[in-house]
Amino acid sequence: MLWLIASLVFLLLRVAPGDPVDAVLGSRAPEAAKAALRSSLGLDQSLWNQYFDFLSKLVHGDLGNALINNESVRSIISKTLPASLELGITALIIAAVLGLAVGFSGIARPEGKLDFAGRFYGIGTYALPPFWAAMLIQLVFAVMLGWLPVGGRFPPSLIPPEGSGFLIFDSVISGNWAALQGSVRHLVLPACTLGLLLSGVFTNALRLNLNRSLKSDYVESARSRGLSEVQVVLRHALPNALLPVLTIAGITVASLIGGALLIEVTFSWPGIAMSLYESINQRDYPVVQGIVVAIAALVVMVSVAVDLLVAVLDPRIRY
Amino acid sequence: MTDRRRFSLQASVLIGLALALSQSACQPKRQSDRLTVASAGRIGSLDPALASTTGVLQVLSALGDTLYIRGTSGELQPQLAASMPVLGEDRLSLTIPLRRDVLFHDGSRFDAKAMAFSLNRFLRIGSQRYLLNNRIAAIETPSPYEIRLRLKEPSSSIESLLTSPYLTPVSPKAYADHADRFLNDRFVGTGPYILNSFRNTQQRLLPFRHYWGKPPNNVGLDLINLSNSTALFGALISGEVDVLLSNSIDENQKRALSERADKALLRESKGPAMNITFVTLRTNSPPLQRQTVRRALAHSLDRRLISARVSYNQREPLRSLIPPSLQGGKTEPWPTYNLATARQLYQEAGYCTGRRLQVPFTFRTNVPSDRLMALTWQAQLKRDLPDCVQMTLNGVESTTVYKQLSEGSFEAVILDWGGSYPDPEAYLTPLLSCKRSEGNICKEGEAVDGGTFWTEPGLQAALSRSDSLQGKARLQELRAVDAMAAKGAPYLPVWVVAPKAWAQLRLNPPIFNGNGLVDLAQLGERR
Repeated sequence: MLWLIASLVFLLLRVAPGDPVDAVLGSRAPEAAKAALRSSLGLDQSLWNQYFDFLSKLVHGDLGNALINNESVRSIISKTLPASLELGITALIIAAVLGLAVGFSGIARPEGKLDFAGRFYGIGTYALPPFWAAMLIQLVFAVMLGWLPVGGRFPPSLIPPEGSGFLIFDSVISGNWAALQGSVRHLVLPACTLGLLLSGVFTNALRLNLNRSLKSDYVESARSRGLSEVQVVLRHALPNALLPVLTIAGITVASLIGGALLIEVTFSWPGIAMSLYESINQRDYPVVQGIVVAIAALVVMVSVAVDLLVAVLDPRIRY
Repeated sequence: MTDRRRFSLQASVLIGLALALSQSACQPKRQSDRLTVASAGRIGSLDPALASTTGVLQVLSALGDTLYIRGTSGELQPQLAASMPVLGEDRLSLTIPLRRDVLFHDGSRFDAKAMAFSLNRFLRIGSQRYLLNNRIAAIETPSPYEIRLRLKEPSSSIESLLTSPYLTPVSPKAYADHADRFLNDRFVGTGPYILNSFRNTQQRLLPFRHYWGKPPNNVGLDLINLSNSTALFGALISGEVDVLLSNSIDENQKRALSERADKALLRESKGPAMNITFVTLRTNSPPLQRQTVRRALAHSLDRRLISARVSYNQREPLRSLIPPSLQGGKTEPWPTYNLATARQLYQEAGYCTGRRLQVPFTFRTNVPSDRLMALTWQAQLKRDLPDCVQMTLNGVESTTVYKQLSEGSFEAVILDWGGSYPDPEAYLTPLLSCKRSEGNICKEGEAVDGGTFWTEPGLQAALSRSDSLQGKARLQELRAVDAMAAKGAPYLPVWVVAPKAWAQLRLNPPIFNGNGLVDLAQLGERR
């Protein structure tokens, strides 16, 4: 799978119009200077040579160097991935808590006002254009109310703590409370925005599965045994309804990357999606290839982990 | 009052109180006296050999010095040079005496060898090394504080080139391991600030205590790089940043900031306009092959209207390829907007009598002002000359435009250009130069790369001659080249964009130098 994705990205980048040499030298550089740079970057080699060179390096874990500033792609990923993971994990937690709470809230009275509001919320947040929603939230909470920073990941007046790259974790480990406060303040808006936009998926998934569970035979059986409605819902219907939600959470990780791109650009969040966006604009082939392979590997790992977790939780599934 | 109304009232009061409290509690507290300066785009590298974007050049101008600098009124002033350059009798050497009191940030001394190291490093690995390679034959150090540049041919524009921040000297000691490769996240130069910390989106600059010149007016700078216009605009409005340097914010937000400056809520400064926008016309095939048709189009362009609609009059209409802020740039040789003349020329070319000129006009989809300019011009032509000319619009991403420009893919396309150094030559040569031609068609050279394929007998000779002249004679030659281009009309200059900066009221207004960069050391509390 990873080989296929890597090959596709390699091919698509070469087919796409544009030239990384323009990004380095500017569009008006003399053709001779462009040709010299193209040669020094190996871009004058045949496509096959470039492809086999890329694959052989990839197999050895070498993602190459950026064409723009010669920085190693691995270093770019290691600098930006923690920022995206920090944002993504927090957003996923917010999305799950918010989405499940809203999805669950209407269960007491199906087709009631709360249930209708939950349904509207589920569809509404899913349908909101992420870029527009993010800009609106940024304008209201950062610019007009001034509650939270407009963008960035850390207060400019502080030096970020060294360590894993996860600023909240590093701040806690180093006992730097000012850094912790600063990084949390910067995380709130992008994480809440992304979490809000993803929460509708959880709301709808839980509502549908819970409704289905409540109409199933084992729930009827539990009711007939004289269990209270709360016990029926919490002990029997909810655990079964949550299993498909877990699978959806795994799938959401992939869409999280797409959503994160817009959120990272809007909130100037220095994550991997923003690096990918900039590299695509600059046609920096090694960086785009490296980031896409890294994201693909991450999605594959999360999918496998979710499948294994579902198998552990659901005794009906055996591999 | 019913219970329900009382509850609503109490709830409203509580919410209001909570909002008011949170407003004061959540306001970011200033944790240092350093100034926060925001600009657009991330800084991928601080190596001067790689520098090309305005953001990087701005940071480098604070961390390093150049041999010469263009002052606020565009005059050449020595910076690391002790005096003005001395031109050899053969006009093929330039001797520059250097200051003796300059230290690098690592404590090592700046001298001729250090300057030669930096220039040679740029010649070896600099991304824009072609700018120097074309001119410099050798770099010599006749004495410890004197550097001599041997030129391949006489070049007046080299003085302007020496003001470019990408030629800022770096410490040979600190760059010993990076003489032939880039050093992205550190910088050791001679400027008023030292680099205290570097991240792609945040840099901290602290005053250099042993700086040879006037010390900075502030205790340091926290530079932040935000990725979009709303974030930059919002950061200044909310007071999160002290100074905003950017041309990358939307026109309506620029206007909003200017209006706030007019109401004395902000300080606004404007730098020399260096970035020109123009329409490139492909002249090697019909119908734009005919000069009459190109001149008709030139007379059909209502720059004032377009500037008003697109930029709320913030972009100055331009009728020259040389920005007006540069020497020789005050003339306006391009045809003015004149519908009667335009109609007459279209008629001469066989249009307006049941036949309309079809102009496919390409704009870059990722440049919002290009799209607006294209739409406005299309509507203006439809209003003014509906029987003579019809414009159809095509949007293409900029990377594709640049790639296909020299292939002659675009009949008319809107582009922009900012010279690599503040000199008319940095505009005329990249747009007009031609190495090989047949009549008025350029077969090889910058005119081909630029997509016009246009040249004029004698133009290349005049362009080369201008660089060997000095003073008034040079200006006259440059103006003659500009006038030749205006007559041929392979380009239609549209407007010129001046850089702007905004500061909070408690600060001095930002000051731009002649290179269009803000003097960050001058920023400080107003006294």
